Amino acid sequence: MLYAGPLILGFILGFIIGSRIKIYPESKLNFTLGSYLVIFIAALVTAYLIGPFPYYTDGPFASGFLATIIGLLVGKITLGRDVKEKKEIKE
Amino acid sequence: MSTILKIFIFPAALIITCLGVNTILGGHITPGGGFQGGAIIAGAFIFGAVIYGLKDTPIKFSHDFIARMESAGALAYIFLGLAGLIFSGFYLYNLGVDLYGVIPEFIKNIFDYPDPIHAGIIPYLNFVVGLKVLVGLSAVVIAFLGFKELKEDEEDLEEF
Repeated sequence: MLYAGPLILGFILGFIIGSRIKIYPESKLNFTLGSYLVIFIAALVTAYLIGPFPYYTDGPFASGFLATIIGLLVGKITLGRDVKEKKEIKE
Repeated sequence: MSTILKIFIFPAALIITCLGVNTILGGHITPGGGFQGGAIIAGAFIFGAVIYGLKDTPIKFSHDFIARMESAGALAYIFLGLAGLIFSGFYLYNLGVDLYGVIPEFIKNIFDYPDPIHAGIIPYLNFVVGLKVLVGLSAVVIAFLGFKELKEDEEDLEEF
């Protein structure tokens, strides 16, 4: 049985922070879709190793942790778009 | 900073952020809570700001964002307290638990936290405190890094 509390609050907090992730071209950082996939898998493993809170019987994962990484990625995809380089307008 | 740090820090910051949120969410049953979790999330932001620099850090907290989150956190805390005062007569009364049995059942259900413990408004208070602390501590570091850059610019100007 899933508990809605940690899932909703974790998702909201993750979404808020995820919406602030913006990579500017001047920084020369290049995090592709693959990098985010690796981060998600790493978060999945970490959530499994942390385990659920005491008295929670909703599975082997830390549900709040998982909800947060999903919220972070959703926030990044929806509101935290990377800023593209401005094209110079030739007159 | 070295390339290894630049590759490693952003993914690590995201994982640390999740750990911070997990600390906030378990505040009512495990060690931790709003302040500790907020400080961990701020730590993730500081990690990025120190390594990449204030301008290039991938996690950007703008002035408006900090102001909004700080205000929202404080207001939500006050509203939760006032809700207790209105419905029970006690400021910050735990409406979701209702130990004294003084409030109607539907109010109790509204403020109930859906998990096995049913801790009432405690997790919500943790949440808003976490929100406030994470932007508050981040703002301090942003100010320090901003002052440092300003000082360096002034020194460069004096040299010329």
